[in-house]
Amino acid sequence: MTSQDTALELTQPSRLQRQYYAVIAGRIGLALLLLAAWKTGADRAGPVYVADPFQVIERIFVDTQSGVLLRHIYVTLRLSAMGFAIGCFFGVALPFLLRRMPRLTNAVEPYIMASVGVPKYALVPLFILWFGIDDAPKLWLVGLLVFYPIFIAVFAGIRNVDRRLINMARIVGASETKISREVIWNSLLPFFFAALKIALPRAVSAAIIGEFLVGNEGLGYMIEYSRQNFDTTGVFAGIVVATALVLVINAMLVEVDRRFNAWRPTERHMEL
Amino acid sequence: MAGQPLLEIHDLSKRFAQRAGREPPPWVIQDLSFTVGEGEFLTIIGPSGSGKTTLLNMIAQIDSASGGSVRFQSQIAPIADPKALNPGLSCQIGYVTQEDNLLPWRTTLRNVLFPLEVQGRLNDETRAHAQMLIRAVGLAGFEDHYPHELSGGMRKRASLIRTLVYDPPVILMDEPFGALDAQTRAQLQEDLLRLWDLGRKTIVFVTHDIAEAIALGDRTLVLTRAPARIAGEHKITIPRPRDIRGIMTHSEFGPLYQRIRAELQ
Repeated sequence: MTSQDTALELTQPSRLQRQYYAVIAGRIGLALLLLAAWKTGADRAGPVYVADPFQVIERIFVDTQSGVLLRHIYVTLRLSAMGFAIGCFFGVALPFLLRRMPRLTNAVEPYIMASVGVPKYALVPLFILWFGIDDAPKLWLVGLLVFYPIFIAVFAGIRNVDRRLINMARIVGASETKISREVIWNSLLPFFFAALKIALPRAVSAAIIGEFLVGNEGLGYMIEYSRQNFDTTGVFAGIVVATALVLVINAMLVEVDRRFNAWRPTERHMEL
Repeated sequence: MAGQPLLEIHDLSKRFAQRAGREPPPWVIQDLSFTVGEGEFLTIIGPSGSGKTTLLNMIAQIDSASGGSVRFQSQIAPIADPKALNPGLSCQIGYVTQEDNLLPWRTTLRNVLFPLEVQGRLNDETRAHAQMLIRAVGLAGFEDHYPHELSGGMRKRASLIRTLVYDPPVILMDEPFGALDAQTRAQLQEDLLRLWDLGRKTIVFVTHDIAEAIALGDRTLVLTRAPARIAGEHKITIPRPRDIRGIMTHSEFGPLYQRIRAELQ
């Protein structure tokens, strides 16, 4: 996007505007094309396999009016947010603690890296066994799935901090706490935001999958309940809403990233 | 000119840690001794790779020594133990490094204020002092720019006044103007001398440029190739204020330049 923008700036303004409209028109065209493909697929395959897009839209509208959908969205968002907060807290705090203990870090690092390979979803039955059927097993699932990308990014970020900046800060009299907060934290912000782009959508996905398995509320429950009743339109409605949620969250994240990292010379983030 | 020695370097030696399965690394610096008087502008000149940066790193205590001692006023710094290092000697030794090391997420002004902020000395008076320094080096109007929006010379100026702003009694400078073009360099040398004249700090200025060492210093030490020892010491009696751009025409300059060049061979 950036290189394209730069190239465009060199050309005439009117041409720039024409190209901008062409891109917008292309996007709308593509959306219509996808919708048409979906509609054709639905007509061919039948409503049991692929729901009709217009019925899905209607279902979302009706469920929103009745308040059922909003309740499901609230439950899923709440679960995602709580699990995210827990996973994010430990994902950030642990590397900062390990920074002070290099020998411990060397000892535990292979174990932490090996535990990345454990399929977290496969642990859900154990979580249910250990933590019951309330929110707890779902929070564990979301928390773990959020923890890993953030932990790995922050850990790598801390190792990548420019030693010379730390030395400079020490010489001018900065305390270790101040160095952590100012030099290390700011240096790893780009890493942190890259991790958030993975972790935030993951939090929502993990919450939905948790709800497939446990509980009787939330978007995941709505999708699973619809499936059990051969209500394909309900399944599709749930997926569309979940996708929209992730898109909104990502758009908010891109905005926050832009404000926090205004000092960066180039826009390096990937926009989703 | 040099009064009571403020800083005394005694038998300082350094070799880097041995790597497994290799021969012991050579000495970078061996038994180096010299003193710096209060208010003195000492320049140290040596060929590249002669351990100049290592020397300053040890005095600034961001690197440990393999032997010897550094005494500041009456305190002897335990610089042989990496764990006991006290970088900057509790803000008494400032260090202008070769790279500007500005914090890229801070604007010029906030970079300059950073030492005051971490030392808890940010108030109206110190703020005004910082503004004065910013104006003095021609950075007015660039207070809200990020480092990547500044030119190399501007970044150098910002890093220079970031050290001046908290007024450490000793300032170490490691080829601070090395990477600049001749014009900017002369300008910055003039700025430095002007600022130094206002406060007369003790400065240890390392360079590989003979002309720079003569133009700036009260005294210059010539180092040998590694392991660094002192090859020569010269008092520079060219009167101040000096005209940096015209200094080569001074009668003392030519012979001194030749002698130092001979010692560097």
